Amino acid sequence: MSMPEPRQHFHDELASLESAVGDMGERAERAIGNALQALATGDERLADQVILDDDPIDDRYLDVERRVLDLLARQTPVASDLRLVSAILHINLHLERVGDMAVNIAKITNVTRALPRSDSILAALGEMGDVVRPMLRTSMEAFSRRDLDLARRLPSMDDPVDRLNRGMYREVAACAGDQDLLEWAVHMMVVSRQLERVGDHAVDIAEQVAFLLTGEFQEFSDDDG
Amino acid sequence: MNEGGEGVGTGTRSGGSRARPRQRPYTGVAVKTEREQRRSEASGDVIFDVRDLSVLYGDFRAVRDISLPIHEHEITAMIGPSGCGKTTVLRCFNRMNDLIEGARVEGQILYHGVDLYAKEVDPVEVRRRVGMVFQKPNPFPKSIYENVAFGPRVAGFGGSMDDLVEESLRKAALWEEVKDDLRKNAYTLSGGQQQRLCIARAIAVAPDVILMDEPCSALDPIATLRIEELMRDLVRDYTIIIVTHNMQQAARVSDRTAFFTVEVGEEGRRAGVLVEYDATERIFTNPSNQRTEDYVTGRFG
Repeated sequence: MSMPEPRQHFHDELASLESAVGDMGERAERAIGNALQALATGDERLADQVILDDDPIDDRYLDVERRVLDLLARQTPVASDLRLVSAILHINLHLERVGDMAVNIAKITNVTRALPRSDSILAALGEMGDVVRPMLRTSMEAFSRRDLDLARRLPSMDDPVDRLNRGMYREVAACAGDQDLLEWAVHMMVVSRQLERVGDHAVDIAEQVAFLLTGEFQEFSDDDG
Repeated sequence: MNEGGEGVGTGTRSGGSRARPRQRPYTGVAVKTEREQRRSEASGDVIFDVRDLSVLYGDFRAVRDISLPIHEHEITAMIGPSGCGKTTVLRCFNRMNDLIEGARVEGQILYHGVDLYAKEVDPVEVRRRVGMVFQKPNPFPKSIYENVAFGPRVAGFGGSMDDLVEESLRKAALWEEVKDDLRKNAYTLSGGQQQRLCIARAIAVAPDVILMDEPCSALDPIATLRIEELMRDLVRDYTIIIVTHNMQQAARVSDRTAFFTVEVGEEGRRAGVLVEYDATERIFTNPSNQRTEDYVTGRFG
């Protein structure tokens, strides 16, 4: 017969924080998906919705941050609890940033809606979105499943994003003959850059997972993947 | 909360490459690098080498097969649940268990390489070199001055007693509070002051090691923090071993932590065993043993 756990309330609160961060992950990923859909279809209403949807992400970010500080002050977590609290704090911030990037993309959609567009650039951006969204999902899944092998797959998943982001320079340069198209394309460079950063945030989340599981913090590089 | 600066060209990562310089492995959030540094500079040799130590009270084996080195000029904390034998082990370092009838020690404790339990070793001399501070402050019912002077006088100290009393009280961070009241009875002091007086009394006989058995458990939080501060000062001159029920105290104050627990062996006999012994930052950020992890995180049921 085992006795009840001495720190049940504390560990319940930790679990609740983790699930709040999981919710942040779903919202951030959805925001990127919606932002890209709004961009591809020129859907202004959807772009506005992405901007509005960032408020609850920010609210949750602040709530998690406040509750983490409360735990640190009052519960002095140690060992794997301490590493989990630290990982939650970092992942929370990464996801909040991803939410901001979706907003940036939505704002760009709105300021470029009157300009001509290039299908090949839109296709490349769509392709980047098809990589970074699963990256976010995978890193959060590695977190919830405590799966080190899954976390270590993130750097290699990031490779096509970097390649597409670099290719974007050529795509934009090819628009140089048309002033309006060039203006639109330069904005799309920013979108590409945002998506590339989303991929980086997903890798950083996976690094936090590895720290949580191993107690050693190491930045992933491509050869780890 | 949207950051305007997250756009093109402002990131620190150029061109999406993740080939950033690899950082030194980072092993925890509790930043104690200064202490770590101090330890690597100051910690020297092994002062006590405990080898396969068992302590028996009659037939009852209170602790079993303990092996650990204690390092000079460090604070070593011993933690674990009630009955894990940590106080029993502490009392072996100055042969206090000799005073308990039926107590017997197996294995070895080497003190500066000398077997502490060898026949020719005088336990009284051991206790002069290895002082002890107890759970409840226990000053003599005498003046503050006499409390400090008593030990050196018995030991035949021939120098200036006034100087020695002042130096000991200064080292115990009590001098400024009592310098005008040295003739007052020690019982007029507060609990925290009495405990620092007991530390001054231990210091006065020029020990090498100070053992502390729950030295703060009868003190309020501020008095506790003052003792902890004092311990960090004292460790420059002495080696300190502390038994504490307060895990956060071990985390705050010690360089190394030994975690003991109770194991139920054959025939349902319970004995204290050493589970893990490591740098304190390691024990509290990434312990190697699941039982340590469960204990420090409060999952010990």
